[in-house]
Amino acid sequence: MLKAAGSPPMTRIRHAVRARVVWLGLLPFFLFALAFEILPMLTLVRSSLIVDGNLSFGNFGRALTPIMLSSFGNSLQLSFSTAFLGTLFGTIVAYAIVTSPNTAVRHALTALADVTANFGGAPLAFAFIITLGSAGAVTLLLQSVGIKLYPEFRIYSVTGLTVAYVYFQLPLFILLIMPALLGLRREWREAATSLGASVRQYWLKVALPILAPSLLGSFLLLFANAFGAYATAWTLTGSDVNLVTVQIAALVRGEVQLDPALADALCLLSIGVMAVCVAGYQLLTRYARRAAG
Amino acid sequence: MTHTLTWRFPVLAVFLCFMIVPVMATALFSIATRWDHTIWPEGLTAAWWIKVTARSAFQRTLINSSLVALATVVVSAVLVTPTAYWAHLRVPRAKPWIELMALIPFGLPGVVLALGLIRFYSGLPVPVINTPNILVASYVVLTLPFMYRSVMNALEAIDARALTEAAQSLGAGGWRVLIFIIVPNILSGVVNGGLLVFSTVLAEFTLANLLIGSRFKTFPIYLVEFTRFDARQASALAVISFIFAWVVSLAILWVAGRNGGPRVATGNR
Repeated sequence: MLKAAGSPPMTRIRHAVRARVVWLGLLPFFLFALAFEILPMLTLVRSSLIVDGNLSFGNFGRALTPIMLSSFGNSLQLSFSTAFLGTLFGTIVAYAIVTSPNTAVRHALTALADVTANFGGAPLAFAFIITLGSAGAVTLLLQSVGIKLYPEFRIYSVTGLTVAYVYFQLPLFILLIMPALLGLRREWREAATSLGASVRQYWLKVALPILAPSLLGSFLLLFANAFGAYATAWTLTGSDVNLVTVQIAALVRGEVQLDPALADALCLLSIGVMAVCVAGYQLLTRYARRAAG
Repeated sequence: MTHTLTWRFPVLAVFLCFMIVPVMATALFSIATRWDHTIWPEGLTAAWWIKVTARSAFQRTLINSSLVALATVVVSAVLVTPTAYWAHLRVPRAKPWIELMALIPFGLPGVVLALGLIRFYSGLPVPVINTPNILVASYVVLTLPFMYRSVMNALEAIDARALTEAAQSLGAGGWRVLIFIIVPNILSGVVNGGLLVFSTVLAEFTLANLLIGSRFKTFPIYLVEFTRFDARQASALAVISFIFAWVVSLAILWVAGRNGGPRVATGNR
């Protein structure tokens, strides 16, 4: 109570000072983020945008050589196709899981999605070499029934990478979309049916519009997830498949000679792609949550 | 019953096959004598497992990875928990900024983070590049979304203000309140975050490869090296990774299932 005894202006100043002082408690965290997250990123931004001391976008133009352009093309294509396949099959499988009448099946498959969504990178890529490589288990099995995968299909190609990426995209999508699917009330379907809607009409006019923000948001997260991936591609194909992350890694290791500013411009472009996806995901899931709440 | 079986059964069966076959094939390959032209392995053996686990490099890389993972969990928990508590209770205005810091790593490919760190620190006279320290720091950044979300979810689920005021009225100071009152109440969140961080770091290849490479070999780097020259022993290493990811995921499911925390860490692609 002694604190309140000061004159009103004094208390106000003290409050203002205290309001500033409480921020000090967050200093270690922000210093850490500054040192290992923000400043390293700003270094890339600065070096890619400044040419001879002046602000310029010249580096971006020079960075986009035919090889770099094709790496962006491949990365965008791979991200789009695996995010699309993940969304398409993920929605169907997730709907089959949440509507399954058997509780044990529901729990077991959710657990499977949880576990496999955490698989990824090098061990997963290697598992696909064992399974679908030129002497892989499934390759041999299919051969014995007369289906020859090779040489049309190769696991060490963009198509092969697509299969491997879908392996981690699919369960991730299932986990992301499940809450939205559980939010679809049975009454809505019953109401639609009792008003004479067909199954198709229910999906097109009721369910999909409700799910749209969640579907699109999760799609964007999958897109970013694939675009930033490197370990899987590197283990599976080395540098055979030209992806943005593979190019940047080669620059980091000094395998390719390119002046640093160009590498940084390349990084900035990929950050741009990722930022759009992650921001979109964030906005759409927030919107979906508010609409459901 | 027949109605529910019609479309659901084939969908779930194909899904199950797709998710399980690669793992089972790898496991079988690791105990097969020879399996490159027959439908089924020609014979079974434990030789590859014995060979690969007996190597000193195997044990060393496993220990290296565990140490880095443990250090990352500790640094992350010590950094994030007090920050989240303080922001939640005293500086709510800082929350969007912390959230932004915890969101950026989602949009930052590992290769870009690696290049940024190398560019920034190679120009400074501090010896951090090429040491395990930079690896731990980069992993804390990489896994920030998962640790922050887990801890914040747990904090938002309890009445932190009432608990703090009750403890303070009984004479407890700031740190005592945090350590003895708040942390035990949000422990499931911290453990959930810690498990996600641990499993990410143990399987992370990109940053380890680009930041220190062969100077301090982690388990995933060892695995990738092996895939290039001995597939059978590499398959045993891959199975070890899978078993580990499997155990940690089930632990996460068990912990997160009760507080609604995040269950998947996407930092090791």
